[in-house]
Amino acid sequence: MEEKLINFIKSEYLDGDDVEITRDTKLISSGLIDSFSLVSLQTYIEREFGKRIPAPKITAESFDTVGQMIEIINQF
Amino acid sequence: MRLLTLFISFLVFSLLIYWTLPNQKSRTVFLGLASLIFILLADKLAGRITAVLTVYTYFFSVLIENSKRKSFYHKLSVIGIVIVLAFFKYIGFLDAYIHNVTSFFMRMPEYPFEKIIVPLGLSYITFRYISYLTDIYWGINTKTAIYTLLFYGGLFTTFLSGPIDRFERLEKQISVFRINFSRDFVYEGFERITFGLFKKFVIADWTGYLINSISDTNDSFAVKVIALFGFSVQLYMDFAGYSDIAIGTSRLFGLRIMENFNSPYTKPNISQFWRNWHISLSDWIRDYVFFPLSKLSDKKIWLMVFVPVIAMGICGMWHGSEYKFAVWGMYHGAGLSVFQFWSLWKRKNKSLKKISETKWFNFLSVVFTFVFVTIGWVFFR
Repeated sequence: MEEKLINFIKSEYLDGDDVEITRDTKLISSGLIDSFSLVSLQTYIEREFGKRIPAPKITAESFDTVGQMIEIINQF
Repeated sequence: MRLLTLFISFLVFSLLIYWTLPNQKSRTVFLGLASLIFILLADKLAGRITAVLTVYTYFFSVLIENSKRKSFYHKLSVIGIVIVLAFFKYIGFLDAYIHNVTSFFMRMPEYPFEKIIVPLGLSYITFRYISYLTDIYWGINTKTAIYTLLFYGGLFTTFLSGPIDRFERLEKQISVFRINFSRDFVYEGFERITFGLFKKFVIADWTGYLINSISDTNDSFAVKVIALFGFSVQLYMDFAGYSDIAIGTSRLFGLRIMENFNSPYTKPNISQFWRNWHISLSDWIRDYVFFPLSKLSDKKIWLMVFVPVIAMGICGMWHGSEYKFAVWGMYHGAGLSVFQFWSLWKRKNKSLKKISETKWFNFLSVVFTFVFVTIGWVFFR
């Protein structure tokens, strides 16, 4: 799951930029991706992992790192 | 003045009883009922609507949780609440059109719709209950007892001017056996109330007085611009002041209500502005309008243009029933849309990205965002 999410983020939002993304890299608070990207992340998670994460759980704070995303995905 | 006296009397009276009650359950029941009495005394119609909406929401929360037709009952419940909000908020405005149509087709007698006054707190309680029902449907919450629901929807410290807190957050705080009284509640509460009173009655009111007096004596363009920037400060201080008072008075009951403002005028883009201005409303719009609308199509123009404009148009309409509020919302929606295109462009253009990370660019972005937001207040004045 971690690898898939990182690959998606790199290809979708970073346009192949040479940025290293780990489980703990701050994505939104560091400005690497903007909060509008959360909509497509929600769609991707639903399509790829079959988990429908409600919007109130997908915030710039709660989805700031891949690790946080995985934690929330596992709750549903 | 009558409302202020009533509010202060109720605050003192309910604090004295609240802290003598033995557990959080009895306090929740008490505060819910006390809030209902407060609303009834402040505005009889608002009180009756609060009671009816609470029963209605409770009834549908049971259906959504227990029925197999969750989606149907969820939609039905939300439509019902939206109809109540739309009836009271927009019917007066639509009166002229309704009368023209009805009299043309049916020769109906004229009904004075314009005399319908929006009940106090209606915009807040309806949005709270929609979020509550939707969160049950989405599996974030489970249904609660009716007295807890009344407490959530009608809590008198937040009833008149928000914030539109989420049930999940409040429930976590009151589901303990008992919140033990702490002197910190008093210190923090009064500190926040003092800040709020200062923002509202000193900064906002004095700025308002100042801009009115210069506008009355001088009609030049420069004065109008200065007045608009003054209004920008006045509006922020007014609303943030009320939010501080709501947060502070709730703190006296040991409750931590969500923050509603976080230095919004210091943000470098319109997206960040909305994450820090009237946070409870912008989060609500994001969760219950923006995200669901985004699901309807994955076309770029839909996601980047139509969704922000429609969502912010709804946000604008929430503020008032006149066209100007919808236009103000769509103006911000257009701003968000342009910002999305800018972000996309920046991502693809390495040198632009580098420039945008410099300090002076960030400073100019803050100024630009503030000016953009201030120009938008033209629709509010």
